[in-house]
Amino acid sequence: MMQRSCLCLNRFWAAALLVSGLALQPSCSGSGGGKLPLIVYSTHGKELLGEFEAGFELANPAVDVRWLDMGSQDVLDRVRSERENPQADVWWGAPSILFQQAEKERLLQPYRPTWSGEVAAEARSANDFWYGTYETPEVIAYNSAALKPEEAPRDWDDLLDAKWQNKIILRDPLASGTMRTIFCALILRSHQTTGTVEAGFQWLRKLDANTKDYVANLTLLSQKLARQEGLVTVWNMPDIVLQHTQYQYPLDYVIPSSGTPVVTDGIALLNGAAHADTARRFYEYVTSKESTLLAANKFYRIPCRRDIPRQELPVWIRQTTIRTMPLDWKVLEEKSNEWMKRWDSQIRNRGKS
Amino acid sequence: MSSPVRRPFTTAFHALILVLLLWLVLYPNAYILVQSFIGAGALTFAHYIEFFGSASEREALWNSLWISGWSVVLSGLIGVPLAFLFYRFDFPGRKVFAALASLPVLLPPLVGVISFLFLYGESGILSRSLQRWFGLREPLFSFRGAGAILFVHAYTMYVYFYMFVSAGLKRLDYTLVEAARSLGASSSRAFLRVTLPQLAPSLVGASLLTFMTSMASFSAPYIFGGGIRVLSLQIYNSKLNGDLEMAMVETVILASSSILVLLLLQRYEGTSKYRSTTKGARQPVTLVSHPLKRLLAGGAGIVTVAFLLLPHLTLFLISFAKDGTWTMEILPPRYTIENYARLLSDSSFLEPILNSLQMAALATSANFVFALVAAYLIVRQQVRGRALLGSLILLPWALPGTVLGLSLASTFNQNSLWQGRILLVGTYWLLPLAYFIRHMPVVVRAVQASFEQFDPALEEAARSLGGTWIYSVRRVVLPMVLPGALAGSLLAFVTALGEFVTSIVIYTIHNRPISIEILAQLRQFNFGSAAAYSVFLIFLIGATFVVSQKYLSDIGDGAVS
Repeated sequence: MMQRSCLCLNRFWAAALLVSGLALQPSCSGSGGGKLPLIVYSTHGKELLGEFEAGFELANPAVDVRWLDMGSQDVLDRVRSERENPQADVWWGAPSILFQQAEKERLLQPYRPTWSGEVAAEARSANDFWYGTYETPEVIAYNSAALKPEEAPRDWDDLLDAKWQNKIILRDPLASGTMRTIFCALILRSHQTTGTVEAGFQWLRKLDANTKDYVANLTLLSQKLARQEGLVTVWNMPDIVLQHTQYQYPLDYVIPSSGTPVVTDGIALLNGAAHADTARRFYEYVTSKESTLLAANKFYRIPCRRDIPRQELPVWIRQTTIRTMPLDWKVLEEKSNEWMKRWDSQIRNRGKS
Repeated sequence: MSSPVRRPFTTAFHALILVLLLWLVLYPNAYILVQSFIGAGALTFAHYIEFFGSASEREALWNSLWISGWSVVLSGLIGVPLAFLFYRFDFPGRKVFAALASLPVLLPPLVGVISFLFLYGESGILSRSLQRWFGLREPLFSFRGAGAILFVHAYTMYVYFYMFVSAGLKRLDYTLVEAARSLGASSSRAFLRVTLPQLAPSLVGASLLTFMTSMASFSAPYIFGGGIRVLSLQIYNSKLNGDLEMAMVETVILASSSILVLLLLQRYEGTSKYRSTTKGARQPVTLVSHPLKRLLAGGAGIVTVAFLLLPHLTLFLISFAKDGTWTMEILPPRYTIENYARLLSDSSFLEPILNSLQMAALATSANFVFALVAAYLIVRQQVRGRALLGSLILLPWALPGTVLGLSLASTFNQNSLWQGRILLVGTYWLLPLAYFIRHMPVVVRAVQASFEQFDPALEEAARSLGGTWIYSVRRVVLPMVLPGALAGSLLAFVTALGEFVTSIVIYTIHNRPISIEILAQLRQFNFGSAAAYSVFLIFLIGATFVVSQKYLSDIGDGAVS
């Protein structure tokens, strides 16, 4: 018996040795292989990032581009908490209001790209801290297997119609920059016409009454729409096009006829970037004419740059006419937290009562 | 009982453990507590007044409390009988199913929870089948709200009861039960008055972990809550809205509720100490010989485990479904291996897996050593302030993972030695440290329960027979507590492998773990690939279990036989 117990304890020590061996194995044995690392925080997703990583590394064989793909709010939080020990060089992708915030908090460093004259004044930082890359219009999306195009809602106010009761599913607006922008824009719209935000909140309360559920992420949202738990949502155009064409989800969109918020997506160099020179080259590379066209054709991004020849853009961009909702982005940035807090405590799930 | 033997070791270890706890656990949390009382640079109760003045905040507190209470009851009702079934009776396939029954707690993050939707949700397999079966126009149920949360909680948290009680049963002194029976006690009386009290430490430990996990639970209410307010969601929403003070207050309230329950349970535990006074004898596993009973016991075990594995199977199914095609059908209409192909063609496919394995191994090794020392001090040496030690050790569990991440990130974001702060943000080490802190309670509780169940007289006997301290620890103490320590460490290891909520706050490019890779797949609508990656994770966890069963489970047997 004693012998057995010894044997087992020996086994235990062997296992313990194994585990500690695993633990002490040299960490992150360089996947860069002695190359110069360039670290990018981005919202643009694995596929787009992988494509541009490969392209840039081909032209710069000494550089190893490494990226982290995450939500825009996450990038800001991360950059903020790494302020004392910056890890990344480039921040590529986020609505401009987040870049504005980061600029205010001194998290960015200025850089004036060679094409700085080719974007509108509101699509860039006045002090070169960030520049717009892509335009992202918000749209009404619907399940195209269940609804014919003529049956889908045409404009924002159509969403309040009783026939959409329990047919609308939305992405949880607190966690989503896109949804926050849409909700705040609709409040701001009422402010611009009536002088008060009350009508805007009333509008959102009626929308809440028609809303079946607020879901945690975009993948879940598109699953629920495709499976017809709901039929209608609001989201941004490139994502809907991407899901439709790349992944064959039965989704289509309508651009609201009275006008829609168009979000500017941007790029910036981070303060304290360890590889600032390479970062500038990467910045130029991904915002070059060729790259912009590649992003438009393959990844459904509408360019901010105005010097891209129109005939080279994909058909879906050329054929779309977008009426931009005039918005004061400064007010939106300042008020969005306050408005969303009020929405969360007074309106979420209370519209039906 | 003779007074505990004191030696310089004890004092040194005690000091070390206390310093570690104060520095790594109390300090970051004290920061949050202080912040909750600060408004515009001055001391204020304003946030607390706002909290208790708001109907939605009070509602959230109440919901969190009652949902957690019920989660404990339901998890116990599943976990305890299962442990008895698998550890007291023998029937075909017992060992395999006993191991499989621990899997649910290891459902991969995010996608695992989402697989519930595809199974039990409004448009899920079950709902659609029933709908078609009965020819209904509308789905029968929507799997939303408190009921759905409780379902998911009971499903994932019964494992605490299962594992703790299983370990307890292994240590159970069956001679006592036999004595009671021979003195004329009925079997149910012997169970209630002898068996159950011996299991009290395991039950208390499991209840505590379940309650705290459920208070801090995030994914279940977020995905299945259907708008129900609970504290963990309120914290998240406040933080997203830039209302950090309110998030701190909500965190403090949540943590205090958990700590209150902890203190209540500790009082109960203090009043009921049941120890085995002899080395005892294990109950022989009852071989069920009657063919019908054998069939029934085996059948019940298998059906339960099969039910518990349904979400894993669903995940497996999704990993082979062609993205975007499964819309109105009960089961996916088209199958493909492209989800796996997409993963395997990615040159960095293995990187997150290696990262997670390494960090989990690091953190768990530290947990194991720490837990042995800490539990020994608390239970055996009866050191002064052990209630404080015990509470500090459990504190990480009382806090949601996000909060742990945040508090670590805001404490260790600069080198300032006089403040006790070092720069870890952005380095490899912060995340393994977080795993270590977060899983400290499971391992310590498991070891503590083992220590509490056997009598110190055994150790003293070894010493009085001339064994050195080292010898008595190695040959008496360690073998007795190893089953518990290993069960706890195993749980910590696999939980660390798939950890998500803390990881997302503090991972860096050097240590991107598995859960973050799954999230990245999800972000790109690669639902199938996310599921495929989760299947890899499940296999990884399964392999860990098999290996540990094979190499480690005998240790306990060997020690008491």
